[in-house]
Amino acid sequence: MKKLILNFLLIFFILSTGFAQESPKEKKKDKPVNFPWDSELLIDNQTTLSPPAKTLECIIQHRFGLVNQKGISDLYGIYAPGTNIRIGINYTLVKNLTIGYGLTKKNMYNDFQAKWVILEQTNSDHIPVAVALFGDFAIDGRSNTAFGTNYKFNNRYSYFSQLIVSRKFSDWLSLEFTGSFTHYNMVASTNNHDNIGVGMNGQIKFSPQSSIIFQYDIPLKIQGISEQSDFTANNAAKANFAFGYQVETSGHSFQIYFTTADGILPQDIYMNNYNDWTKGDFMLGFTITRLWNF
Amino acid sequence: MNKVNVNKLIRFFTLVLFIGTLTAFMIPQNQKKGAKWVIPEKYKKMENPYKGNKRDLKLGRMLYSKYCKSCHGSKGLGDGSKALQLKTLPGNFSTAEFQAYTDGEMYYMTAVGRDEMKGYSKKIPDEENIWAIISYLRTLKK
Repeated sequence: MKKLILNFLLIFFILSTGFAQESPKEKKKDKPVNFPWDSELLIDNQTTLSPPAKTLECIIQHRFGLVNQKGISDLYGIYAPGTNIRIGINYTLVKNLTIGYGLTKKNMYNDFQAKWVILEQTNSDHIPVAVALFGDFAIDGRSNTAFGTNYKFNNRYSYFSQLIVSRKFSDWLSLEFTGSFTHYNMVASTNNHDNIGVGMNGQIKFSPQSSIIFQYDIPLKIQGISEQSDFTANNAAKANFAFGYQVETSGHSFQIYFTTADGILPQDIYMNNYNDWTKGDFMLGFTITRLWNF
Repeated sequence: MNKVNVNKLIRFFTLVLFIGTLTAFMIPQNQKKGAKWVIPEKYKKMENPYKGNKRDLKLGRMLYSKYCKSCHGSKGLGDGSKALQLKTLPGNFSTAEFQAYTDGEMYYMTAVGRDEMKGYSKKIPDEENIWAIISYLRTLKK
């Protein structure tokens, strides 16, 4: 795992130095790079893009069932029961600070989000990367009986915090690396309350409005912070890999993809994904966003 | 099928074709050509500070595709996928009439706008990006 992370960082460094946004001859006033990402969301992950201040965004995220469970009989998951959906709204209060609220079918989550873009990558490379912080607090809305006998309301709480570092390497390539911490107030006795994760996401544009997108979220198996004696067993959440196609207009972004985790909230993905993409556990999903400026 | 039924069928399809043709011509006729733009003097004299910048031209193409193409069409002929839903004709950017506008006048139309041609200054807050679109509009001249 360490090797994997080191390789990621090495590739990121090499690409950072290999692609320049501007040639030295094109002297310009130093400004943030244009459109580092096409959307604030990249499949399940946040990007370092923040809409202009006073922008309202409506988001619909959907997952069908696994393609490899019943094959053609449920049309590769399209007709499968237990699909997941989230509807949410975000509002950009001031430049680079967005708050949001959403409802998710799985576990009847209510979630409250905030994203702060701390640094924006600049044309001159004076600031070579963009940096953002993202936080998500969710309340599991299921019946009390889902939480065992010693019920307390705060058993429903879960938290997710993430540091996102991204770079637009060229007009066609943007990559980001994430580090995250997830905490659930209540988990099954075989699981951990905390998880540290890393991820790598990207966007490859092939036309002014279209791009290929991908993500790879890895919940790390760190025995040192585990409450379990054998954390490397099957009780550890698995990586979430997804790839798809994105098209955007001035007010919309549409993403259609194959993804691994049935969760939509990041804490659910990092903590509760037991689907294994290496065994073909993929499901079709899509995301639609709509922006309104005030 | 007897002869009477065939004649009825032919008459029915002729009627459908007639109504369809009529409707096809009526939709564009309902669209009005936009009134003359009233543009403040300070905009008329503005010049594009990024004229000739190749990178901005590329950016302008991308922005045009994202923000303008759906109404104005991929070549600026006013034939975008949403064009027929508008009450006002989106105009033809390739004509000498449109290209006679100054850079500043185009800037005003894009950033400030009016009626259905809403201003894009909120969605595109960076002035350079608006100018990039203007640079691209110049390339649509026939």
